[in-house]
Amino acid sequence: MTRRLGRDLSRDKLLYLMLIPGLVYVLLFKYAPMYGVTIAFRNYNIFKGFADAPFVGLANFAKLFSRSAFTRALGNNILISILKLVCGFPFPIILSLMINELRGRKSRKLAQTLVILPNFVSWIVINGILFAMFNTTGGAIPGLLRSLGYTGAISNIMNQKETFQWVIIVSHVWKGAGMGTIVYLAAIVGIDQQLYEAAAIDGAGRLRQMWHITLSSLRPTIVILLIFRVGEMMYAGFDQIFAISNYLVISKADIIDTYAYTLGMEQQKFAEAAAAGLFQSVIGLVLVLATNAIAKKLDPDSGIM
Amino acid sequence: MRKPKQRKVRESRGERIGHFFVSLFLILFCFTTTYPFWHVLMYSISDSNAAMSGGLFFLPRKPSFLAYEMIFKTQQIFVAYGNTILRTAVGTLIAITLSILTAFPLSRRRLRGRGGFSMAFFFTMLFTGGMIPTYLIVQSYGLIDKFWALVLPSAMSAYNMFILRNYFKSVPDSLEESAHMDGANSFTVLFRIFVPISKPAIAAVAMFYGVAYWNEYMDGILYINKPQLEILQVYLRKLIASTGTLNSLSGIQNLSAAANLTEESMKMATIAASIIPILVVYPLLQRYYTRGITLGAVKE
Repeated sequence: MTRRLGRDLSRDKLLYLMLIPGLVYVLLFKYAPMYGVTIAFRNYNIFKGFADAPFVGLANFAKLFSRSAFTRALGNNILISILKLVCGFPFPIILSLMINELRGRKSRKLAQTLVILPNFVSWIVINGILFAMFNTTGGAIPGLLRSLGYTGAISNIMNQKETFQWVIIVSHVWKGAGMGTIVYLAAIVGIDQQLYEAAAIDGAGRLRQMWHITLSSLRPTIVILLIFRVGEMMYAGFDQIFAISNYLVISKADIIDTYAYTLGMEQQKFAEAAAAGLFQSVIGLVLVLATNAIAKKLDPDSGIM
Repeated sequence: MRKPKQRKVRESRGERIGHFFVSLFLILFCFTTTYPFWHVLMYSISDSNAAMSGGLFFLPRKPSFLAYEMIFKTQQIFVAYGNTILRTAVGTLIAITLSILTAFPLSRRRLRGRGGFSMAFFFTMLFTGGMIPTYLIVQSYGLIDKFWALVLPSAMSAYNMFILRNYFKSVPDSLEESAHMDGANSFTVLFRIFVPISKPAIAAVAMFYGVAYWNEYMDGILYINKPQLEILQVYLRKLIASTGTLNSLSGIQNLSAAANLTEESMKMATIAASIIPILVVYPLLQRYYTRGITLGAVKE
């Protein structure tokens, strides 16, 4: 037995050698920060360094939760991520079904090419584009409204507390739509055409075919994406919000990550910031495992693990 | 996709109306995803005063390249561009190499401990240390204000590596066996057989990495304070956020030119300058992205 193990190991020694760079990499840049997150339980001080910091249990968490700015960020975080899930998850599915209804390969291809464009630029660029659309000096929309004869006051929706969460949601759905359609359209292409023919012979119309064949064939894909999506629920979109928000709307836009950034990078409260991050990661992990388990219970073939 | 011929036959009136609204919606939605980019381009080559009233720009108003002349007078935009290009090239190369080297052993069924190793990589997709601990680690490696801080922290994503592994798995074992029979070792098998055969998947994954490196900006904010290492996205962010751009850009001496140039025009020109490279390679990006995602959709 051990001899066989030794033989296998020596036979594959080059394969193990190949694994080393990747393993070293994740150890240094993924697992080391996971160990580093233990500063969330320590009285960390930049001058004393990491190893000397004494353990303080959950004190950092207690401090964190007593801050009204954190509870506000947590509230925003939950609201924004629920709205993003509810609006953003079904949209690419609907969009794919619509693109699939177009006649002619060319127009389907064209639609698919155009919807994905915003996906390839950074949120910084999107911020610039939102500025170009909505700024009140020379923006596209205010200018358009004025040229249509609107004379009332026009405010920049990027600076309004009342509208900003919708800017976050809509720009998220708009930017991500194309990426989602790639996955769904790829799955739709793989559906057996005979199913449609058979359904048509049985008198099923377009809508019923869409419901009973297309959507039900997409179900495994939808479930996998939903699991990942729910696992990301605690992440309300740092890249996006950091790029497009400003101090005027902070009370509506601040989420856990942006607050952790402020705590850590601006106020040097590293331990509390790490606690905020850990709180987020742990809930995220629990959410993935739970959704995966539920998905498996409903359908043993689905799920990510 | 279905053949259009068969569908026409059975279409009822309701279905035709439905089809009309579907097309209308898609046209409007595609307009919203493309027009803003066109708007920025057209605004940036319009005369500032003519553009000031805003509204839709289907064509430039009084074409003028003054804004571009001005933004390219500053050194910093070239520095930022250079850094972004360099970190994208170096980062993609390192990331793709790491991913190939890791994916190949993990795709070999005979490898002992394969499941455990795979899990070690998969777990990094489920759980992260978070921004602040990562920052502290990067700091402890002495990478703050170093070029490598723009490359290493995101050099290999488990997701991309698994796409490659799945692709390698689909290559028939017989190819590897016969190569081994001829005396080839695993490195030769990987680089002479698997890499050439997996070109589409590798190209797609390289594209994923390239776009991520080009667009990522948080590393530039967290780890870099030196202007010489500023990346394009961070430069752009500063510029869009600033009011008083004209003053903040050093080297603009020509006041009469500056008087005919608004901040908006300069911002548009800078945004345009940063998206033009993406628009140029867009058809390529779109094709490889589609391919990569389709490959990634294959489950373990």
